[in-house]
Amino acid sequence: MSSPATHVQLSGVSKTFGAKLALNGIHLDITPGQFAVLLGPSGSGKTTLLRILAGIERPSSGRIQFGSLMVVAPGQFLPPEKRRLAMVFQDYALWPHMTVARNVAFPLDNSTSTKLDRKSRVVDLLRRVGIEHLSERYPNELSGGEQQRVALARALAADVGLILFDEPLSNLDADRRESLRIEIATLARESGATVVYITHDQSEAFALADVVGVLNHGDLVQWGSPEAIYRSPATPFVARFTGLAGELPVRVHRVAEGRAAIQFNSPSESVEMIDCPSNCNSVGDATMFVRPAAVSLTSESGVNRISVAVEDSAFIGRGYEHVVTFDGGRRFTKIFSASRFARGTRAFVEINPDAVFIMKEVE
Amino acid sequence: MLLGRIREARLARVKWSGIALWAILALLVIIPVTVFLLAAISPRLLHLSSQWFTFGSITAAFQGYTGEGLFNSVWVSTTVAILATSGATAIAWLVQRTNMLGGRVIGALMWVLLLIPTWIMTIGWTNLIQPGELATALGFNTSGLYNLFYGPGGIVLILTTAALPFCYFVVSAGLRGLGSEFEDAARVHGSSTRRMLQTVLPIIAPALLSAFAIAFAESISDFGVAFTLGLNTHFPMATFTLFNAITENPANFSVAAVIAGVLILCTVPPIYFQSRVVRGRSYQVLSGRTRSVRRYQFRPLTRWLVSIALFAVLLLVILGPLVAAIATSFTRTISFETTSGIHWSLMSYQSVFNPPPSIRPLGGGLWTSNQLGFFVASGTVVLAYVLARRLSATTGGWSQRLADVFLLGSVAIPGVVLGVGYILFYNQAFLANHVINLYQTMPLLVMGLTASAIPGQSRLLVGPVSQIQSSLSEAARVHGASKWRTWKSTSLPILSRTLTWAWVLTFTKTIAELAVAQMLLVPGREPVSVLIETTLGGVFAPIGTAATVLVLVEMIGVILVCLTIYRFFTPKGWRRIGELSRSE
Repeated sequence: MSSPATHVQLSGVSKTFGAKLALNGIHLDITPGQFAVLLGPSGSGKTTLLRILAGIERPSSGRIQFGSLMVVAPGQFLPPEKRRLAMVFQDYALWPHMTVARNVAFPLDNSTSTKLDRKSRVVDLLRRVGIEHLSERYPNELSGGEQQRVALARALAADVGLILFDEPLSNLDADRRESLRIEIATLARESGATVVYITHDQSEAFALADVVGVLNHGDLVQWGSPEAIYRSPATPFVARFTGLAGELPVRVHRVAEGRAAIQFNSPSESVEMIDCPSNCNSVGDATMFVRPAAVSLTSESGVNRISVAVEDSAFIGRGYEHVVTFDGGRRFTKIFSASRFARGTRAFVEINPDAVFIMKEVE
Repeated sequence: MLLGRIREARLARVKWSGIALWAILALLVIIPVTVFLLAAISPRLLHLSSQWFTFGSITAAFQGYTGEGLFNSVWVSTTVAILATSGATAIAWLVQRTNMLGGRVIGALMWVLLLIPTWIMTIGWTNLIQPGELATALGFNTSGLYNLFYGPGGIVLILTTAALPFCYFVVSAGLRGLGSEFEDAARVHGSSTRRMLQTVLPIIAPALLSAFAIAFAESISDFGVAFTLGLNTHFPMATFTLFNAITENPANFSVAAVIAGVLILCTVPPIYFQSRVVRGRSYQVLSGRTRSVRRYQFRPLTRWLVSIALFAVLLLVILGPLVAAIATSFTRTISFETTSGIHWSLMSYQSVFNPPPSIRPLGGGLWTSNQLGFFVASGTVVLAYVLARRLSATTGGWSQRLADVFLLGSVAIPGVVLGVGYILFYNQAFLANHVINLYQTMPLLVMGLTASAIPGQSRLLVGPVSQIQSSLSEAARVHGASKWRTWKSTSLPILSRTLTWAWVLTFTKTIAELAVAQMLLVPGREPVSVLIETTLGGVFAPIGTAATVLVLVEMIGVILVCLTIYRFFTPKGWRRIGELSRSE
């Protein structure tokens, strides 16, 4: 019988280390069974937030509630072992003196089930993560991917309502990352538990998440579905962190109903007026943030096309990714084209006005 | 406002366990030593004279016999530190970074060397090279060598061999963590061997400085050699002149306190410098991933020659004195060889347990020392583990900084200083009459011996404790284990071998300890080291040597018993940890 998924609620959670503010009044509501990914660069506070959820760190202030269970409140702190959760650590955290089977069985030691039941559950879990043949090995006899599978099995063994993942794929090579990511997504959802997963990799976040929270300097800057975050980043930071081809300085001439009429600042780049979605509320200087999918490379001039020099091209299997430079010196990367544009040649970058964002840095 | 709330939360979380720990350390080390040092400038405070404040003792301590002792201690310890660090670095490099044979045996020999106290080493060397002793019987003329040995040369030799294992373990750890990629990087960028060494050696500078600091501190605080070879050769060392100042009539505690202060101050620069270097720059080359180390490949003949030469030196240094001591113990004459030949006999061993009327039975002393060893080792391992955990914590709180300062400071406190500090503090009338009278009791001796063992053992444990990733215990906690179960199922298994060795080492060191034992002995229940010392240098020397051999046999026996128990009564996974770290 599985434990019911946990409803995770955070209210005004802050954490300081000395004078450094690591988390600044975080409010979160993760509904039961949701797969939430906290995305952010190093130092953004995502690991601190996860460790606070686990009970490894104490928040400096704020409240945390797991369903009806208050785990953190003023004068109240529930230790990790009482929170009914499981965690997959970045460095796996497998106990080196225990076999694979013993590592996985560890969370079951507190359960009331019989020894036989526990043993069969361990065997079942090891089979599900594909390492049943390694049950009597010790962690140092396993590869990184196998070790992370053991950590995953251990987290699932606990049969809890909340599973935390601390950048579990960051120590693995590309092939293993992909296969293990799929396994994590499948097995975690099968378990029915609420999942909080942290990563600095936006593609990993978008691939896994039901909901994504973007953290920067201890602030939760955006919370929403992967699609919403990709299509409507709330701040320049979110736009940059979730993948851009490049940025161009622009001048906003008119704003109305979430759209703006803009012109490129540099006369050499374009003199045409473009109508596109915008977060700006006022006219003046702003920045155009361009996703790789919003630009294409062509050899012919036309509307919304800007002349560029091709600096580099890289074969990526299904086509080519290019690096181009505008006459003003600005550079765009990851511009896809099915055909190759040779280095040093001239071409035109076509910008899709409906797929760019206009924002001012201060907003 | 937020910061205010945080401060309150922190204050509320000040652990009672931390306060208890510091209270114990204050009673064991901080208060007795501070009280003793106060005697240097304010003897009236401790009812030692009528002067509230004086610098007279400071002037007196730097003159004549005591001044000579201070000077000798400083230059001998500096020489020892240089020799031990360079020797240990060479040996560690051969073992860790070349294909020389028998690396594991070298490690085992270092442990043996670590277990032999300096006064036993002195007896052994004397039994080996003194004219008329074993070397003479084997046909060697050692009178020239003995003249070199009988003085500062011998003192430097013994202290260097005693400091060698400390330096070896520290430098080895540094070299083990140093992947060969640093050497490779230097080489592929065109460095010669010399330039490559110039580039790579600074990376292990903290280990070299640690080795130097430890060797210096160990040497300057040694009492065993000062009290045996130093005394007999009229080469005063500061620890002996300190002892002499309080045992002569009238006792001069103020001058002794000045000597103690100078000894502690002398060790501050190397330890502080080492500590600054380690803190100021990141030398972390150790990670969870094992780096492959490419070893320098000697040619077959060179490999054999190097291995044989190293083994020959180490065996001479370790086995020479031991064999000599054992051989001498089986004679009944003062010299091993007499004009009428060698007189083999078991009489000395019989006399250990049934001695002549003028000396105390050494068997009783051995039993006392075993009792002391058990309690001191058990208490020390617990306290040293707690301190090591605080030192290796990543939070860097006030307790950690205090523990750091405490350990750095107490490393420098010679056992003889602790002993005098105990005599002065625990014999104070207000304490003895109104609180508790511990003076000349076994509990006080246990406390003194524990206090002298804690700094070294904490240092030993900090490395292994800090190598345990915090995520291992965090994983246990988040998967439902209580604090106790977490410690029992994660930290204890991983540290079990280290803790066992720490216990064994403290036990054996306690049995052989001389300085604190000499100062705080309970009349009628003298530890064996004190009893043996009273027999040496006279007609009862063979009995003392026989007792020394018995002590060594017992030490080896205890080690074997403990390791056997560990081997057969711990789970396989526990033993794998030590085996893994050895094989890396």
